[in-house]
Amino acid sequence: MAQRQVIDARGAFCPGPLMELIAALKLANVGEEIEVLSSDHGSIKDIPEWVKKVGHEMVGIDQKDGYAAIIVKKAK
Amino acid sequence: MSAEPLFIVLCSPEHEKVQMAAMLASVAAVSDRPVHLFVSMNALLVFRNGISANERYQGGAMSKLMREKKAPDPITMLKQGKMLGQLTVNACSMALDVTGLGLDDLEAEVFDGQLGLTKYLADAEAGELLFI
Repeated sequence: MAQRQVIDARGAFCPGPLMELIAALKLANVGEEIEVLSSDHGSIKDIPEWVKKVGHEMVGIDQKDGYAAIIVKKAK
Repeated sequence: MSAEPLFIVLCSPEHEKVQMAAMLASVAAVSDRPVHLFVSMNALLVFRNGISANERYQGGAMSKLMREKKAPDPITMLKQGKMLGQLTVNACSMALDVTGLGLDDLEAEVFDGQLGLTKYLADAEAGELLFI
């Protein structure tokens, strides 16, 4: 399995984590996963909504202490 | 199918409103929704190049907090929206004429050009128009 890229966007305010995720997805290959770490409370709803809208795939959300790890697979 | 284009007219120079306009424009643009931002009146002065952040971003309590906590910079967000999505930014021709500013006097890599209100309004018939 390919190594998952981790983006640490903790401390960034909306829409910083989403923008960092999108920039990483642009450079990723189809099928690759990106894990974005976000302490912005809106990200756990905003990022899945964006993923659904543009046609990528949500792998999961892991709620940690003070932040969330949001994992997205590039689908197209 | 593409989403309905979003047309945003930004006239206010208030930091909070400039921030919201940049958030709306950049997030919509990266969400497969074409966005056309039209910057006029005092808002144009916010985008002058060579001015300090203190001079550029003036507002109320939220402005102070956003700067203290390093919320994303509106100009950076607009550049991201242009790079990662479908965002065009035009300066109002009238505001440029009145201020004597040219596109070269505005922040680089933000503006695509200048436009008159008549053309912008005609284009905006194809989508949703917001005024800030």
